Amino acid sequence: MLSTGILQRLATFALCGLLCGCGPAPRQDGRIDLILWKNLAGLDEEAATSALIDRFNAVQTRWRVVAQSLPQGGYDQSIVAASLAGRMPCVVAVDNPMVASYAWAGHLRPLDGEVPAPLIAAVSPAAVGRYAGKVYAVGQFDAALALFTRRSILARMQTRIPTLDRPWSGAEFQTLLERLKAGGQYRYPLDLSTRDDKASWWTYAFSPILQSFGGDLIDRRTGATAEGVLNGAAALRFGTWFQMLFAKGLVDRSEPDDNAFIKGRAAIAYNGNWSAPEFQRHVGNDLLVLPPPDFGHGVVIGGGSWQWAISRTCAHPDGAGAFIAFMLQDAQIAAMSDATGNVPVTEAAAAMSRDFGPRGKSRVFFDLMRRFARPRPATPGFSTVANAFTTALRDIMDGKDVHDALDDGTDDIDRTIADNHGYAAK
Amino acid sequence: MNRDRRITPLVFGAPALIGLAVFLVLPFLMALVLTFTDQRLVSPQPGAFVGLRNYQRLLSVGALVQSPERDRDTAYVRVRAVTRSDPAWRGYRPLGDFRIGARRVTILAKDPPFLRALGNTFAFAMMVVPLQCALALGLALLVNAGIRGETVFRAIYFSPVVMSMVIVSVVWAFLFDRDLGLLNQTLGAISFGVVRPVDWLGNPATAMPAIAIMSAWQGAGFQMLILLAGLQGISQELYDAARIDGASVWQRFVHITLPGLRQTIVFVLIVTTIAALGLFTQVDVMTGGGPRGATATVMFEAVRHGVREGDIAYGATISVVYFALITGLIVLQQWLMRSRARVAG
Repeated sequence: MLSTGILQRLATFALCGLLCGCGPAPRQDGRIDLILWKNLAGLDEEAATSALIDRFNAVQTRWRVVAQSLPQGGYDQSIVAASLAGRMPCVVAVDNPMVASYAWAGHLRPLDGEVPAPLIAAVSPAAVGRYAGKVYAVGQFDAALALFTRRSILARMQTRIPTLDRPWSGAEFQTLLERLKAGGQYRYPLDLSTRDDKASWWTYAFSPILQSFGGDLIDRRTGATAEGVLNGAAALRFGTWFQMLFAKGLVDRSEPDDNAFIKGRAAIAYNGNWSAPEFQRHVGNDLLVLPPPDFGHGVVIGGGSWQWAISRTCAHPDGAGAFIAFMLQDAQIAAMSDATGNVPVTEAAAAMSRDFGPRGKSRVFFDLMRRFARPRPATPGFSTVANAFTTALRDIMDGKDVHDALDDGTDDIDRTIADNHGYAAK
Repeated sequence: MNRDRRITPLVFGAPALIGLAVFLVLPFLMALVLTFTDQRLVSPQPGAFVGLRNYQRLLSVGALVQSPERDRDTAYVRVRAVTRSDPAWRGYRPLGDFRIGARRVTILAKDPPFLRALGNTFAFAMMVVPLQCALALGLALLVNAGIRGETVFRAIYFSPVVMSMVIVSVVWAFLFDRDLGLLNQTLGAISFGVVRPVDWLGNPATAMPAIAIMSAWQGAGFQMLILLAGLQGISQELYDAARIDGASVWQRFVHITLPGLRQTIVFVLIVTTIAALGLFTQVDVMTGGGPRGATATVMFEAVRHGVREGDIAYGATISVVYFALITGLIVLQQWLMRSRARVAG
């Protein structure tokens, strides 16, 4: 198409300026440079990834990985622009739910053959980015969601402390929340981090609860429709429950800051392992990390964080594969976990790590991830799915008819799938 | 000589014209082409021409008339049940409803969020333009009154303009907070608790006015500067003469200041309106288009569809329709002003 041609040429032009300008000067030791793109997530992760790359380069004679960091906010757009321009780097960091989209669009190359299969087999399933039966990405770490509360609060409420084997039921959780609210000490007993209104958080945090109710974002077997899944009976129960949380004032529709739990404004926080150090610092030994409730179909938490993939246009996939194989070594995974506090993705790496070993202070997150993490659906239409779900759920929060809101979300998703001819392969 | 006269303006205009052509006209023409396709940002499938499908999805409206179910008087079949089962209404969603006798009429549209966003955007413009211009005029008059430290005040009033809109939005989201926000705390304190806390950004009725207030505060400094320049262009002799004639402050304002500022005010109104119709950042940061779509704007919808969901063709359609709409309004306004001038002349 004419306009795409122009668009491509423009993007090439813009990107060439970027890459040619900032690219490393060639060095004369016969090693081949592999460009790597990563998202700027945080200072710890940035430093840990740089250290990882340095260690890889130090033991290599054939390859040298050259890392370029891009802001996380525009990361997705950068990948799209680079792929339109045919200037994808060799190794790319990809957020797990976007793997299917990039794989379908032909930006990524399957890892099978480039990375030894036993290495991938050892990785927790949710940390592997699969699409259409192939592995396209794999992560060094994952995250885990949990309920955080204080031991003293549960003692005062005379509520049992749930375990991974016996989590709270939906009814128990409900009773506790209402008693906390009735106690008058907490204006909003539960903090769901609703301050973050981005689709990424809402999908990551609340679609697992929908799954625990027995619904889902789309029909995962076919990937062809959301009908009956996002707007079925189970989803309606989930939506009604979610609306009730706000109608009864158990959750604030927009927390003013991220400190509701540590400041004692909320009794329970639904949050990720990344918040644990902060909570620990303020709450100390009173802190309890609990599995989310079982709403009838088991405990479910979201799985899949940032992962590594090889681009289709990479001229040296064997080099990229060597890098990914290197960082999947248990020692490398453990080092990353020690530096960043992220959950390691293999059993052996967890045992080697400082905090996630069988007696480590963060072990509970590893167990949560291993037992309950399920990846978000691997559909190329994920961004639409996430937006549709988030819009529906935020409308439900603000009082829209639950059935109408979920029907709207379902129709959005189904229309996008139809528009893309069912995401048929090229 | 004659040829020179034709070429010279083109030569001098070339830098600007080339810039406009490359960065405005060309992208717009590309967008126009995109609106007839199903082009996606990320897809291995090549974009195909789909005719007017995007326009139909954006603009289709209809009305569904329902009689109550027989046994009860106020129960109707659920509208969404009808639109999802009746092929004639496939893809339609309710926009609003009203009653005629026992019948319920539901206005349906294929993209109610867009139509609501269109209404929201114009509602925002209606709120923010008078507010911001009045505020700017007030500030300009204050700064121009010849009090000491005029420059300091001018700098203070102008400072929000140079601040990043994202930062201003985050700060104001704190100020507007229901329980901890400064605004509610102040209202509660000065009314001794009579005024109950308002969930400014969480209530569909107050969310857009709240954003309008914040936007007016942020932007007024810019209009203040322009009006200030206009004020200083009014001859002091006029004021002196009026004072000798015994004109009051109010009379001087109405009969000298306002007429003297007429052209400036028209310019300021136009500039403010254009900025208001492009509302995006505040909404994206403060409300994400909520609650229940009460603050979604056209630009917000265009970005949501075109960029975040990767449906660039549909995003382009929204932009093109919006462009056509605004162009139409401007042409209408110009025509009205010209015909009024003719009547006056």
